[in-house]
Amino acid sequence: MSLLAQGALLAADNTVPTGEAVTFWILAPIALGGAIGMVLARNAVHSALLLVCTMLSLGVFYVLQAGPFIGMVQIIVYTGAIMMLFLFVIMLVGRHTRDSLIEVLRGQRLAAVILGVGFAMLLGTGLARGVGSVTAKGLDEANANGNVEGIAKLLFTKYIFAFEVTSALLITAAIGAMLLAHIEKKPGEKLDQKVLSRNRFTKGNYPGPKSGPGVFATSDSVATPAILPDGTFTERSVSKVVPARELTLTEARPKATNGNKQDGEIR
Amino acid sequence: MNDIQLPAIDYAALLPMLIVFGAACVGILVEAFAPRGWRFVIQVSLTIGGLVAGLVAIIVNRDLEITTIGGAVTVDGPGLFLQGAIIILGIVSLGLIAERRLERGGPFVAEAAHAANSDGDKRQEREPGATEVFPLTLFAIAGMMLFCVSGDLLTMFVALEVFSLPLYLLCGLARRRRLISQEAALKYFLLGAFASAFFLYGVALLYGYAGTVSLTGIREGVLQSEQSGILLAAGLALLAIGLLFKAAAVPFHVWTPDVYQGAPTPVTALMAACTKAAAFGGLLRVFNVAFETTAWDWQPVLATVAILTMVVGSILAVAQTDIKRLLAYSSVANAGYLLVGVVSLNGAVGSSLFYLIAYGFSVLGAFAMVTLVRDSEGEATHLSRWAGLGKGSPLFSALFTFLMLGFAGIPLTSGFTSKFALFSSAWDSDQSVLVIVGVLSSVVLAFPYLKVVVLLWLNPPGEETPTVSVPSMLTRAVIFAGVAVTFVLGVAPSFLLDIVADAGPFLAK
Amino acid sequence: MTPDYYLILAAVLFTIGAVGVLVRRNAIVVFMCVELMLNAANLTLVTFARINGSLDGQIMAFFVMVVAAAEVVIGLAIIMSIFRSRRSASVDDANLLKY
Repeated sequence: MSLLAQGALLAADNTVPTGEAVTFWILAPIALGGAIGMVLARNAVHSALLLVCTMLSLGVFYVLQAGPFIGMVQIIVYTGAIMMLFLFVIMLVGRHTRDSLIEVLRGQRLAAVILGVGFAMLLGTGLARGVGSVTAKGLDEANANGNVEGIAKLLFTKYIFAFEVTSALLITAAIGAMLLAHIEKKPGEKLDQKVLSRNRFTKGNYPGPKSGPGVFATSDSVATPAILPDGTFTERSVSKVVPARELTLTEARPKATNGNKQDGEIR
Repeated sequence: MNDIQLPAIDYAALLPMLIVFGAACVGILVEAFAPRGWRFVIQVSLTIGGLVAGLVAIIVNRDLEITTIGGAVTVDGPGLFLQGAIIILGIVSLGLIAERRLERGGPFVAEAAHAANSDGDKRQEREPGATEVFPLTLFAIAGMMLFCVSGDLLTMFVALEVFSLPLYLLCGLARRRRLISQEAALKYFLLGAFASAFFLYGVALLYGYAGTVSLTGIREGVLQSEQSGILLAAGLALLAIGLLFKAAAVPFHVWTPDVYQGAPTPVTALMAACTKAAAFGGLLRVFNVAFETTAWDWQPVLATVAILTMVVGSILAVAQTDIKRLLAYSSVANAGYLLVGVVSLNGAVGSSLFYLIAYGFSVLGAFAMVTLVRDSEGEATHLSRWAGLGKGSPLFSALFTFLMLGFAGIPLTSGFTSKFALFSSAWDSDQSVLVIVGVLSSVVLAFPYLKVVVLLWLNPPGEETPTVSVPSMLTRAVIFAGVAVTFVLGVAPSFLLDIVADAGPFLAK
Repeated sequence: MTPDYYLILAAVLFTIGAVGVLVRRNAIVVFMCVELMLNAANLTLVTFARINGSLDGQIMAFFVMVVAAAEVVIGLAIIMSIFRSRRSASVDDANLLKY
């Protein structure tokens, strides 16, 4: 609690306590580095983890600034739930996709960076000049009955309607996720144990174990189908992925291991 | 621990929104518990019933002027008019959303979770479309209604998201051309989230400036804040970016053609009519209530945006070869005309409201007619396919010609009266430059419309002219409403002009 | 050090996010950049709550988190569905909509 009490304190000349200043100077570079790293990292997983760093630092800043509740929510909801959801989706879809370095719009990156630096300098100097003259009031008074109580009081009085309306957002989100991710199985499509075993013994189906590839075959390659006792080939013996992986002539050529010959060159 | 007292709540003022939100929630329950075969009928009647009940509540409220529930909601004349406009346009566009005769199963995909062109996707081609679209539409409409009457910027932000999220979803649910539809959803979503981040940062800076986010609080803060004006200017600029994005103003319009083209046409119609009304409702309220006293600072910038929007929208519309993209760019240009109304402040609030209704009905009618022109692939939207439709389908072509002439602003259509009303009130507010640019750009904008008309009647039909399908009563009603309102407001606009004049200014205290 | 430093840090973070949206091509990373922008706005709100001496800023930050959570669900669902259809999460590959 001493940290919180400290956070609310402000000296008369508008400077923050030394403890807070030290924490800020340690965490601000981390937050900044995380943000820059997120933009620069080529791998989406790295981006997400660097963003988590930034968000955790921001969570500490909230606690420092007399907002323990919002700081905890930041850590639990933002880093704990939202960023983990991001990581899940990256693992599902985009882990291998890396950004191409080719610019589709020529000069767009440079223009964006110049624009961004200009924007940041404008805003930063504006804020520094604009706010510096005003003394911060601090939250001692507002937090007198505790931060959570203060927030609850505002949330359930002044902001009650916005609070109720967010329920519409959450319902929309749930419906949206269902709509875009859930495939309903038709009654006939669900294959239970009974149906599966019936299918196995239906006419025209061979219920025994499948013959392995290469058994009675003309070659020992896994891509060669087995020969049944009646002399016919059985395609069932070849795994479905094998034909898809069949190599082209160029790929199957003997490759030179070293020396002055080009790879794959046949003399 | 001091006790918590609820603020005074005027339930009558909130009733229209509560009804629509409630109907949406009931719709979700229907989705969960009603048998599959019944859902469509129940959802359509529930949605229409909810919207009509909301409309009745608005009409009962018509003289209400109150700020309630802790300042979160400000119900006043323009706010109620905008809510009513959104509900009416919503009811009309529902006719397109519920249409199931033009295409077997309706314009929406049955199960969006199937990957496009996969086996499952092909199997579901003839299945009835998802009925979740109805509650989603209701949520979107309720969010738009709240957006127009928000009393503070936080409520406005939440309302913005409440109506945006369902629209992102609806964009991705087209039955045909799934890939384009999903792409439209992705583009709309990413750019929409980007814009709402700007909106939020603007809110944060304004909070720093005024110490409050209520619109009236900011208005007072302008007069007495100790903070520097840089915060106000930066906050206002960032807030405006977020709002102008939804309104599709240049340079924040880049999403419009892609999303309008990729989204299912009924959703495009909903966005063109209702979202436009909501976005301009928000813009008008923010600028008239919170920033009226600083008008000298922002008017030149917004006027530049308006000029850019009118010019770019109308010039790019000329180059389009797809009817949906053409209507999208025309919607951008119309956003420019409406911005003239925003710049003119209180003098043009009434005529802006009139313009929103007139444009909304015309654009609904036009998109309803776009859904009719079909071949085996679905809607044939490329303009070259429309050549010579006048020979085979004279009634269709005549009605479409009328709507195009309406957009072009020919007398005896609502396009003329609404532009006239808007420009004359802007002229009275000393925005003569904007009016001149507006008139010139609407002359340019008449070309693409007339090009379509010429294409329909004078060009020889192509090798495989698509057919004009016969729709059910729902789409017919939409087309009838669009054409009739375009005509009535063109011939006898006075009754609606009286209503918008009675609506009076925004409540600013 | 004064509380203004937080504001400047937030402005820089916001800008980094905005630049990231413009330069990155992977839809998921673009979306993360938007989240960074929202976080920067939140830091501004919380800092101004302290400067103004009222808790409204913290409440708004709380609302932003709720909104962001809902937005993330919708956004990632859309990205998932588009990825399943075309096996790519690059915004440049989403280019059917051109005239």
